[in-house]
Amino acid sequence: MTTPPSDPVIAARGLTLTLGEGSGAVEILRGIDLLVPRGQILALLGPSGSGKSSLMAVLSGLERASAGALIVEGQDFAAMDEDALAQSRRGRIGLVLQAFHLLPTMTALENVATPMELAGMDKAEDRAAAELEAVGLAHRMGHYPVQLSGGEQQRVAIARAIAPRPVLIFADEPTGNLDAATGEAILDLLLARRAETGATLVTITHDAALAARCERIVTLADGRIANDTLLA
Amino acid sequence: MTMALPWRMAWRIARRDLSARLRGLRLLLACLFLGVGMLAAIGTLTGSIERELTLRGREILGGDIEVRVWQRGLSPQETAFMPQFGRTSTGYRMQAIAVNGEASAPIALKAVDANWPMVGRLVLQDGRRVGAPGDGAIYLSKGTAERLEVRPGGTVTVGGAPLKVGGIIASEPEMLAEGFNLGNVAIVSRAMPERAGLTSPGAMFQTKTRVLLPSGADPKAATEAIEAAFPSAGFEFRTRDNAASGTERFVSRMGEFLILVGLAALVIAGIGIGGGMSSYLEARRGSVATLKVLGATSGDIARIYLLQIGAAALAGSMAGLAAGVLVTPLMGRLLEGLLPITPGFALDAGALAMASAYGLTVALVFSAPPLLRARGYPAMALMRARISPLTVSARDLALPVGGGLLLLAALVLLTASNPKLSALFLTGAVGMLGLLALLGIAICLAAARLPRPRDPVLRAGLANLYRPSAQTGALVTALGFGLSTFVLLAALQTSLENNILARVPDRAPDYFVIDVPKDREAEFRAVVARTTPEAEVQTIPAMRARILAFGPQGAMTQVNTLDLENLPDNAWALRGERGITYQAELPRGNEVVRGKWWPPNWEGEPLVSVEDQLAEAIELKVGDMLTIGVLGVERSARVASIRRIDWQDMGFNNVLVFSPNTLRDAPHNLAATIELPPETASRGLLGQLVKTFPATSVIETGGLLREARVLLGQMSTAILAAASVTVLAGLAVLLGAIAAARASRLYDNVILRVLGASRRQLLMMQLTEYGLLAMMLSGVALLLGSGIAWAVMTQVFKFDWLPNWPRVIIVLFSGTTLIAVCALAGSLPLLRVKPAQALRVI
Repeated sequence: MTTPPSDPVIAARGLTLTLGEGSGAVEILRGIDLLVPRGQILALLGPSGSGKSSLMAVLSGLERASAGALIVEGQDFAAMDEDALAQSRRGRIGLVLQAFHLLPTMTALENVATPMELAGMDKAEDRAAAELEAVGLAHRMGHYPVQLSGGEQQRVAIARAIAPRPVLIFADEPTGNLDAATGEAILDLLLARRAETGATLVTITHDAALAARCERIVTLADGRIANDTLLA
Repeated sequence: MTMALPWRMAWRIARRDLSARLRGLRLLLACLFLGVGMLAAIGTLTGSIERELTLRGREILGGDIEVRVWQRGLSPQETAFMPQFGRTSTGYRMQAIAVNGEASAPIALKAVDANWPMVGRLVLQDGRRVGAPGDGAIYLSKGTAERLEVRPGGTVTVGGAPLKVGGIIASEPEMLAEGFNLGNVAIVSRAMPERAGLTSPGAMFQTKTRVLLPSGADPKAATEAIEAAFPSAGFEFRTRDNAASGTERFVSRMGEFLILVGLAALVIAGIGIGGGMSSYLEARRGSVATLKVLGATSGDIARIYLLQIGAAALAGSMAGLAAGVLVTPLMGRLLEGLLPITPGFALDAGALAMASAYGLTVALVFSAPPLLRARGYPAMALMRARISPLTVSARDLALPVGGGLLLLAALVLLTASNPKLSALFLTGAVGMLGLLALLGIAICLAAARLPRPRDPVLRAGLANLYRPSAQTGALVTALGFGLSTFVLLAALQTSLENNILARVPDRAPDYFVIDVPKDREAEFRAVVARTTPEAEVQTIPAMRARILAFGPQGAMTQVNTLDLENLPDNAWALRGERGITYQAELPRGNEVVRGKWWPPNWEGEPLVSVEDQLAEAIELKVGDMLTIGVLGVERSARVASIRRIDWQDMGFNNVLVFSPNTLRDAPHNLAATIELPPETASRGLLGQLVKTFPATSVIETGGLLREARVLLGQMSTAILAAASVTVLAGLAVLLGAIAAARASRLYDNVILRVLGASRRQLLMMQLTEYGLLAMMLSGVALLLGSGIAWAVMTQVFKFDWLPNWPRVIIVLFSGTTLIAVCALAGSLPLLRVKPAQALRVI
């Protein structure tokens, strides 16, 4: 990276995350500096325990950093409590997780509609139906997660993340629980849907194919950024 | 500032998240169904009885107003005055003895005129609906006829007058209004007692005149007019609006007591609700975290799950209300002998509202802690392995839990007719629950310190009692409360019964005799001495009077200005007429605590000695004045002394005793007691007395005791049945605890099976665990229940401690066995799981 972006969607400086207290305290992130321009597709790589998931958690507002500054879509995440962070995610940040984490007691349609309803958006169910159609699950709208295959569940999760048209999408190993063929299809879908909305995508992956399709690779090691490479 | 999710949106999400089969919320539903159902049933039953008593007032009273006076008939002026208000019926009521050969029976003699009954009909066993019996005839109750071995057409003697039995009473109008009587009712014509001399001046009888007013007439106005016309007549009044006020008071107080028992059961069920909610919300940890990932705040989570809990609580309460209403007619049938009226189907909005208010408040109080914990589940729970347990601060709990408990207490105290008693009950219940909670902790600690069994299966069974997620504490509290209540009631009931059986016969006279003619006292004593020379006879002059005024001279309080329905307990003597007497000497079993007893042969100012509790209740002091109405005449006396009565003496105990010069000139008879030394046969004493003094009533104490035992037994059964709901609530908690621990128990069982344990060994493990629990519960219940019963018997009632231990143990054993059986039954499905299958799941 050469010139810092003028209007980054993520601006992190000196981010630190320490878990536990006293002699049991563990430093997970050690002074992360990261600027992410709008619309970029960024892959977070690194060995197990390097802090990838924790960094994603902090950047998405799921966890508060122990120290450092973090501005996400103009909001000072470092100054917010958990409830404020949750509110900040509404309509702005979409998450796709490895284990899908759909709400088991809601249908596919209801799962996709929920974040829009939380954000107070109109016609949430209509928009959810349209998004499910876009991911090829129009015929599964009334099905519960237990009635869907792994790939179908991840499609629903993608639809749920994208339907509110967030500016940021975080995907934590979105193909980790899927077989190769299904995983590839999911990747295609994720990237295609991202392209239609223009959202910034930050993804953790061990999948080299996905990493190759990103514009930037940030490699973590031992809680620090070890490498930051622009591919395009 | 975070903006809360609108309630409408929160409900949308809540509704979706509610599983169609409400799995996880079933315990909440069951507990509320049980608790609210019981409260609704009791409230509806008592409310409908009270309403029936009020609505059927005219029918119960036999008219719109009743005018009563003791020891005399109506004067010609009084008789001429009544009909201006409407149709009238005048008659007499008195104790008497019916005789057939050697057999005799006490009866409540009811003499009625040709206008009787003005409302309803007397129905005889042969189906005839009749009015007053003809001259020379008598209608008897079934019990009296059986005792006298007489049938319709036969002859009995009452007051020396032969009477033909015209029929056996099947159903009598005004039965409730007649109140408590010694002996079954027997109905004769009005002229009969007059002819037999049973209504001579001074005899102990009541004249009752009932008036049927025209439609729209005000009963109160009529009674006020009669009182104004005859202010010194000594009339007592009743209207159709309070036709059975004593019965209403009893039903109301009994209902309130049972509501408190039901509330205690509901609070026990609340423990189950709390446990069930914890499990339910714990199972939704993932959903909560996901919702937070999607942008829900902790406040939104609280709203969503509060709505779910609220919806389930409402559903459980509604089902309970419906069940409570539907079961009321059935309860009425089952308790037919005990209830004054058998109510049918009724909808009591007030009772149902109170029951649901109690239910929903309990649901809120016990759901609050797990709900407040759940709203703290972090979103990071999805991305990180299990995080440290969440706690809720006392400040967060203060409003829902503290506020809810205060609301419950306020609801109880504001609706109680005796708030002090209700407060005492609440304090006792809270204290008991607190003590049980501490015992639960102590039992867990003790179980952890017991020597570890060598057998691994037994070791596992013992360890289940104190493992970190064990619900032993909650179970000891919930089940212990129910069992302790059982023991408490059984110990109290048997102790009361034994006091009556063992002590009353020792202390009470063998016979009470009413209406011994004053001028035949010597003859009376001679008859007794001739038949049973060892007998001890005591006689006192017996009159009835009403307290009209009391207090310092010149500043006396008129009794008719007081609210007689709401008097302090010890001021009961102000209400209506009561027995009075005059005595030269201080009565046996009495002790002067203030002032002085009058000298023998006192002929000075009329004096009176007042019982100490009555004096304290109405702030009466030595030197104050007291005015009474005797046979329509006012008499005043100065308070010379305050007396303490030993009520356990069971002889003649009068709250008012006058100096002889005050009342000796008033027409009156004597009352007598006859005491036989132990093991002395009466040798036909009763027969001799009845033959020689036909107008006299002789009451055997033995018969009274038998009736008291039967009544006590019936009441105890009803109360025990109500208290059994607390055990059922405890069982709900037990089954909830078993369900909550299912996963961990399944895991243990499967691993043990993999390691080679047989099903029989696993059953032993369960038996060890629940057997130990049952044993501990029995011990706790026995100690706590009998401890409280002892305190109530000896310190409150001041009776002897005489429980029937075998019966108490049987009650306890039944309850404990039921608990152990339910516990094992709930756990048996876990023994049938196949290890291979289960390993794929866990």
